[in-house]
Amino acid sequence: MKIALVAILALTLAHPALAQSVAPPSLAAELSTRRIEVTTAFTGGEILVFGATERLIHDGGDEVVVLATGPTTSFVVREKVERLGFWINGPSARFNRVPSYWALAGTRPVADMLESTERAELRLGLDLLPLVQLGARRPEFRTALADGKQEAGLWVDQVQPVEVSGGRLFHARLPLPATVATGDYRVQVLLVRDRRVVARQELSLAVVRTGTAASIADIARGAPVLYGLACITLAALAGWLGSVLFRRG
Amino acid sequence: MQVYLPIAEMSVDALLLLGIGFGVGWLSGLFGVGGGFLLTPVLILIGIPSAVAVGSGANQTLGASVSGLMAQWRRGNVDVRMGTVLLIGGFVGSAAGVQLFAWLRRAGQVDLAVAVFYIVVLGTVGALMVRESVRAILRRRRKAGAARLHEHSWMHGLPFKMRFRKSRLYISVIPPLLVGFVIGVLSAVMGVGGGFMLVPAMIYLLGMPTAVVIGTSLFQVVFVTANVTFLQAVQVGSVDIVLTLLLLAGGVAGAQFGAAMGTRLRGEETRALLGVLVLAVAAALLWDMLRVPEDLFVIGPVP
Repeated sequence: MKIALVAILALTLAHPALAQSVAPPSLAAELSTRRIEVTTAFTGGEILVFGATERLIHDGGDEVVVLATGPTTSFVVREKVERLGFWINGPSARFNRVPSYWALAGTRPVADMLESTERAELRLGLDLLPLVQLGARRPEFRTALADGKQEAGLWVDQVQPVEVSGGRLFHARLPLPATVATGDYRVQVLLVRDRRVVARQELSLAVVRTGTAASIADIARGAPVLYGLACITLAALAGWLGSVLFRRG
Repeated sequence: MQVYLPIAEMSVDALLLLGIGFGVGWLSGLFGVGGGFLLTPVLILIGIPSAVAVGSGANQTLGASVSGLMAQWRRGNVDVRMGTVLLIGGFVGSAAGVQLFAWLRRAGQVDLAVAVFYIVVLGTVGALMVRESVRAILRRRRKAGAARLHEHSWMHGLPFKMRFRKSRLYISVIPPLLVGFVIGVLSAVMGVGGGFMLVPAMIYLLGMPTAVVIGTSLFQVVFVTANVTFLQAVQVGSVDIVLTLLLLAGGVAGAQFGAAMGTRLRGEETRALLGVLVLAVAAALLWDMLRVPEDLFVIGPVP
């Protein structure tokens, strides 16, 4: 073992070209799992991102930012208004191509780490998300959307920092609530040095619905006529069976 | 124990659903109604989206009414002819109701419409029930003579008369068609079978004998809720079979206990209690609309 190491060392010293290709990358990151399964018993999970940097991680030195985004969907935000004493749905704003999941974490607050122009370019911040608002124009609708998503745990804005151990190893836990949407998720790991992003790595993972929940939803969407008939038959059967089972006397 | 509802797309405690099913089933067994008018509001209160609560509520009512219909059928208490006429009105009504529902969903006013329908219908029916049963109780105390059996009114002058032998009636088909239509619309929008409205309508409006009323109303309820389930599944996609089956499992057990207890209660007192219960649900929903909401903004999917 020692001999082998010495041999490699000798080789790399002897060939500068080779030394470059073997040199450790400035950033290496990986996910604990590439597939999260949503079953009928799913109550939530997490995305665990881990990795290492070439140099020591400290404030002002090497720093790490993790950004995860889920598939985009559209949402409608409705404002409740009082009409004749009743609270009813009033004006609404539609948001298209909104990330259903969004989570950001950094070794320290991202705003302190990067210039605002670079932060805006990389969209590292809830306020920097490019949301197209149709319908009602007031900014309260956007705030309500962000508040609602954060309350539901679907938008996570630096709730937990990226943890560092041993100077160069880091890991981040991004929580996924039970209501998480299925689809492809993108995780970006950025290495920040001197207020600049110097390296980045992109990872992906899939959140898939499996088991009975998946097949029921698929049938309901793909063959609604069949599903409707099945619902009628199953409910009638269950009602009849139940009355036979629980009949007293 | 959390269970994921595939259509509602949320996790709910399975024991909670079984409990709700049992409670509603117990009350429906006690009072002899389907219980859909209690179930849908309770589901909305625990956070199930209105559309899913209505679709699955109709599906649950179908299951809960099947065994009752079979029992009544065996005893020969179903007036098939009257049931069919009601059903024709009911099919047209529920088809129109589902269209109305889909339109309301696009307009973003489903929650409002469902709540208003419940408040108006339950408020009216509850008040009528309480009034009628209190009168009956008072009359019994005074030991006054019985009311007239058949009152002749403007309804008996309508054309297209038909003989309903089992109900011992010779009346126009227009009133039962209209009654069926209205119940069908309400069934689609509210996710109820409509038994709690159909029974008084059959007794007081159509003048049917009490013996065949329950069986015939169950006949109408089973087929109309089947139609609503089908149309909601196809047009709105809001029937959650997992939710339905969990509610049914609790419901059929509760109904048997409720029915056993119901035989020990007197008719008028039972009706008065049911009326109070109906009024209480209406009041709870009304309060929900009048108080200042906790969140002034609501986020929903694009319909």
